[in-house]
Amino acid sequence: MALDYRGSQGGKTAAVPGHRTLRDSVEERDRTTAATGHYYGVTELTLRDSDPIKYERFYARLHSAVLAARESARFVAASPGSREMGECLWGLTTPEGDTLAVSLGFLSHTAIFPVSVRYMASKDYDVNDGIDDGDVFAVSDGLTGGVPHPGDFYTFVPIVVDEEVVGWSVGINHLMENGAPVAGSWATFSVDTFMDGFVCPPMKTGTKLRQSQWWKALWERRTRAATMNILDDKMRLAGCAMIHEATHRLIDEFGIDYYKRAIREVIEESRRMIVDNIKQTTVPGTYTGCAFRLVKYKGLQNIWSHADKNTLIHVRGSVEPGQEGLSLDTEGSSKWGYHSYNATPGGTDCAVFLGMINSFGHNTKVTAGIDLAIERNYPSGSIYNPDNEYTSNANLWAQTIAINSVGFNAVNRAMFSRGYLEEVFSVDGNWGAFQGAGTTEDGTSYGFTNFEWLGGTGRGAYCYKDGEPLIWAAWSQIATIGDAEEFESTVPPLFYLGRKLLKGYCGHGKYRGGVGNSAVHWIVQPGKHVALTRPNGGLSCTTAVGVGMSGGYPAPSSFMISARGTNMSEIIAEGGETPRDARELLEMVDDGRLKVENLEIWKTDCPELAFDENDLFVDAAGASGGWGDPLEREPSAVIEDLNEGWVTSYDFVKNLHGVVATQNKEGEWQLDESSTVALREEMRNKRRQESVSVFDWWSNEREKVLKKDFVPEVNQMYAESLSFDKFDREFRDFWQVPEDLVFENEEE
Amino acid sequence: MADGTSSGDNERNFILALDAGGTMTDAILVKPDGSFTVGKSITRKEDEARSYRDSVSDAAQSIDMTSDDVHAQCGADIYCGTGMLNTVLTGEGRRVGLIVTRGFDDISTMEGGLTYLGQTQAESLHQQLHRHTRPLVDASDVRSVSERIGGGCYQGNIHLPPGHVLIPLNENHVRDAANELLDRGVEVIGILFLYSFVNPEHEHRAKEVIEEVLKGRGQDIPVVCSADVAPVAKENPRLKSLLFQCFAAEQVRESLLEVEKEAKGFGYRGRLLTLLSYGGAVNMEYPRLYETMISGPIGGLIGAQFVAEQLEIDQLVTADMGGTSFDVGLLLDRRMGMTKTADIAGHRLALPMVEIDSVGSGAGSVVSIDQYRRLHVGPESAGAKVGICFEYDRLTVTDINVALGYVDPDYFLGGQVKLDRDRALSALESEVAKPLGLDVYNAGAGVLEIVNSEMADLLRTMVAAKGYDTHDFTLLYYGGAGPVHMWGFTAGIEFADVITMPWAAGFSAFGAACAEYMHRYDRGLRELIPNDMSQEDRVGCASRIDQAWRELEDEAREEMRKEGVNVDRVVFRYGVSARYIGQLESFDTRLESGNVKSAQDIDDLIQSFEVMYTKVYPEGARFPDAGYSVTAVHLEAVAPKPQPVLGKRELKGEKPSDSAYVGSRDVFHRDAWMQFRVFEMQELDAGNVIEGPAIIRDPMTTVVVPPNRRKELDEYRILHYR
Repeated sequence: MALDYRGSQGGKTAAVPGHRTLRDSVEERDRTTAATGHYYGVTELTLRDSDPIKYERFYARLHSAVLAARESARFVAASPGSREMGECLWGLTTPEGDTLAVSLGFLSHTAIFPVSVRYMASKDYDVNDGIDDGDVFAVSDGLTGGVPHPGDFYTFVPIVVDEEVVGWSVGINHLMENGAPVAGSWATFSVDTFMDGFVCPPMKTGTKLRQSQWWKALWERRTRAATMNILDDKMRLAGCAMIHEATHRLIDEFGIDYYKRAIREVIEESRRMIVDNIKQTTVPGTYTGCAFRLVKYKGLQNIWSHADKNTLIHVRGSVEPGQEGLSLDTEGSSKWGYHSYNATPGGTDCAVFLGMINSFGHNTKVTAGIDLAIERNYPSGSIYNPDNEYTSNANLWAQTIAINSVGFNAVNRAMFSRGYLEEVFSVDGNWGAFQGAGTTEDGTSYGFTNFEWLGGTGRGAYCYKDGEPLIWAAWSQIATIGDAEEFESTVPPLFYLGRKLLKGYCGHGKYRGGVGNSAVHWIVQPGKHVALTRPNGGLSCTTAVGVGMSGGYPAPSSFMISARGTNMSEIIAEGGETPRDARELLEMVDDGRLKVENLEIWKTDCPELAFDENDLFVDAAGASGGWGDPLEREPSAVIEDLNEGWVTSYDFVKNLHGVVATQNKEGEWQLDESSTVALREEMRNKRRQESVSVFDWWSNEREKVLKKDFVPEVNQMYAESLSFDKFDREFRDFWQVPEDLVFENEEE
Repeated sequence: MADGTSSGDNERNFILALDAGGTMTDAILVKPDGSFTVGKSITRKEDEARSYRDSVSDAAQSIDMTSDDVHAQCGADIYCGTGMLNTVLTGEGRRVGLIVTRGFDDISTMEGGLTYLGQTQAESLHQQLHRHTRPLVDASDVRSVSERIGGGCYQGNIHLPPGHVLIPLNENHVRDAANELLDRGVEVIGILFLYSFVNPEHEHRAKEVIEEVLKGRGQDIPVVCSADVAPVAKENPRLKSLLFQCFAAEQVRESLLEVEKEAKGFGYRGRLLTLLSYGGAVNMEYPRLYETMISGPIGGLIGAQFVAEQLEIDQLVTADMGGTSFDVGLLLDRRMGMTKTADIAGHRLALPMVEIDSVGSGAGSVVSIDQYRRLHVGPESAGAKVGICFEYDRLTVTDINVALGYVDPDYFLGGQVKLDRDRALSALESEVAKPLGLDVYNAGAGVLEIVNSEMADLLRTMVAAKGYDTHDFTLLYYGGAGPVHMWGFTAGIEFADVITMPWAAGFSAFGAACAEYMHRYDRGLRELIPNDMSQEDRVGCASRIDQAWRELEDEAREEMRKEGVNVDRVVFRYGVSARYIGQLESFDTRLESGNVKSAQDIDDLIQSFEVMYTKVYPEGARFPDAGYSVTAVHLEAVAPKPQPVLGKRELKGEKPSDSAYVGSRDVFHRDAWMQFRVFEMQELDAGNVIEGPAIIRDPMTTVVVPPNRRKELDEYRILHYR
């Protein structure tokens, strides 16, 4: 077929002494960009301006190649996430790894392309032992590849012309099993990179558009889902081969000189458009946000004594739109630690570009222009840029989604200030997933991940309307939750008893967020063993990412329930009703219909949970935050929520919104208007009575700060965050505390 | 003797085909010598039989025949309506009650989170634009009942087998649900249980229980099972197929039977046919009538395939602009692209479909400016009311074409309908020009530029998404408004050729005349063929596959017999869906034979799969080590039906005859007034060349030839844009 290897028409890079190396290309790119403020020193878009039709045709060809690669190659996949849920992406880059075009999918992964290529350049891969056209490279390491967590795997295929790398085709997808001590694709409870599973720095795994046989052996021996992972690997390579071939044809048609110039202009053009978008849609200023994550490892890490503790991670970000683009500063965030939530600069870029592309890049060519228009500061030693090369990155993505949510909400406030009301909403990154491994009765072992709730979440409220359920995912432009019939087929003993919206599970306000989702899984014939963990991919421990906007409440966090030792067999034998979602399960336990010997609700990482016949596992995720004061919600909207079942407790909404209602004989709720007016007035009066002045609040809180009157985890968090100068200044200025007030860092 | 595909009479050698679009109903009358006559009438959604009658009469009159004459000599009559699509779009279908597996109560609201169907990459990137589609069942009309069937696991036979009953069907739940739904006034009940495509036992038993309830209540409404409508994996698209069948299909069947009654009233002796979304034709007894959901655009693709064969065009892209949408389709190596799921009006169905993409800008699309001074075109459409220049109360794209002079207000439908240009101009002034602070004509030209560029983007994307470049493609455009806008939606795109026909306005109907009488059947299987499978087990596997085909053949014969088809003349085409073990997607593999009986036959089947797979994917994507899985068998049953022919003409000179020249008129083109010469389409000969600026008028459409471009008519009188 047309995609077969064309032969080494490019020539191996090392073949010619003195050839232009990758290192040369990267150095020239950085030097010219820094000197001029324009990508690669491109101050004039000469190709575009002299023949715009040809220029657009050139780009359309590039873009079509990557679009087509995804639309064909994803069907090779074995994992539902890649085939349907948008958990894959293909792209084409410059020789330096700067993005030229991407397919549909989780496109912020473009951020890692230059990290991997620069690593290869810095280590002279093209000199020893050389890079040939159609070679195949694999990457999954956070530090050297910028990968947002080890479960994401990347395939790079170089495009070589005249012994020079002129581009890379790249394919990415999220694996279902990654071969770590904790089965699945997020190595929960890792304390360093050696527990992160099957992690590869950029390494050559094949030639001539085919993988080597030894590579297959690695999947088979180092992961628990070899067939699935091999097929996903083939999927990535299939798409890369299509892009590789299309790019060679493009170069044949347009000529290498045109190609080399045009790829620079494309990136510079999109950089300019993004900067213009930022200037046109935001009010300049500093927009700061923060969030907190609790890592509960105490008691679970007996073997690794240095990791046996709880940690409160401070997530802090400031966004400043300006004349040359936008800057993001994470100074003040906690330091790295012996847990799985450490990030890397590349991985952090991958997350923070989500909101930036959504807000400023959607109407441009999606290229490395976003990288040039957004200046980032991830201080060395912080959780976003550890000064230790062995940190675990297993849950990097969860941590970086936290900073994306902070940044995305900051951008939304900047756009709200400018009057783009229909653009902005309360952003959350509230997902859930589960993973594990098992062995069937006949001895067959398997590993799995079910990340259906990464495939869609509710959207937070706007300033003028409610959010909607299951309508978007911050991390993928084309997310879907897939089908239960497909997820179920990947885990032999797990069967769905419910896959629903969880009514009332949202942040409330004048406008409420879209409700989240909940699924019930039933264990039938577990065989010799089946066990799950919850990778805390969701921000269940992050108490305030979805802070709600303008007085609205944040979204409730994701959680899960394990119900072990149940009377399910009796319920089914008697033709009874089985639980359909998290709320119903807890109600059935409360009223005795469902008997459970061991019921646990997990709002943080849970250790491996082994399940037996008729046990139940329930999760809930995807809730979103509200906007505005709940007392300002239109009473008729509250009544509608009650009658349509979007909220489940009248007492709750009465106390929240100050709305009084009665039920008629058909059970329909009807507004009691005068009582509502009276109750709202009463609630407002109570607020006034209970409120204190800002000065009094500040004074009282300051006393606590001076006394360091906090639990150890908070003291430790302050010690780490205050080790960064900028946050230390902000903190001392705000609380007006002396220089000698020091929070002891127990790590030092 | 008449059968279900035709009148069955060799003397009856006219073919009649109608395409009822949202705006116009086109009739193509194919004469025995292969030449065509086109008729047209306004689509009357409330009375499709009348639209049928008017359109056929119009075609008949043009060759001095009556409708009775035409029907008396008609060998096949194909009718493609948009009734079903309109029913879905307007939400005016039947009230559906839905019964699902317990725990899946919200499935119709969640719709898998698919909220970006039909969006461009730029739109889907901007997630504020993601939207849920209006559900076809009210959330309060959904009930869940206890039952669970397992589907097996992808690792093979290591756990419970596919179809195993985990929780028995609770028939009391079903009775209670049925009574509650009937009390609420539902008009049809759909049933969707997990894995019913593997084991339909629970769905079928639930249907029986509901029918008992209905009998007890003295009621009679349809009860439809997902396993009977779309017996394939994945509950979300299967649900959408079920809902389309429940919400729209039965209701539309009644109106189609009315059309058939009209045809029989004129003396037609056969059965009226309609088109399936995957290209075949069936009559109105076809049980899964929702599969005819978008038959109109399919007709265009079938016609395009016919033209591509005649003109030996390998790569062809079609652009169909009617009153409500702009549809783009592809022929790659003269074959229609097929999808396993169909995205229709924001829904994804489990339905094989000819691959077509659309944007909601047609000639009848409403043009408006919002409070933020942003221009919107569509998705609302005036339909047969055309625009404010006729019977509609809002400004449409056609109004602008009339206001700027592209469309002659006195020659719409050949003058049968008079349009009011002054009203169009006035509305353009008040609705667009004033809010934007523009001169009225420049405002109109601006709107057209936006409409045209949106269509151009779709053309580019559709071709690009397949990894091709437009240079390799011939563009075939049609639909009533296609020739009016061609100059705009082809600007800036280079095609190998750009062509249309004198009968462009009725091209979809022409295509329908070219369709085969065909049913397609799919049956889900879970056959694993590991590499170490014994010869004996291979024979067993072959036997099960073979048996599935035989059953489908019986089903096809039975259904076709009910449709009045002479089943002795039916031929079958066979295929399987197969994949490497572990893959989620299965790939359709067409086979030469429908007999798989030996271990060698299984090896041959695998070889056919490998050949198909490596046509699409590089060698590195093969994974034979994993073994193979056959997940479905499919069968196409084809019955003979009369076909049209495309006749050649003698080439005349480039200069059109004097009789072709009608006069000239002023048109505001792009940014200035200029004089366009006007020619009469039917007076143009093969070989003629029309230099722009010019307009070629026809009762059915208007071909705009911009300045510095021209139209050349070849020996088929196909118009080439140079």
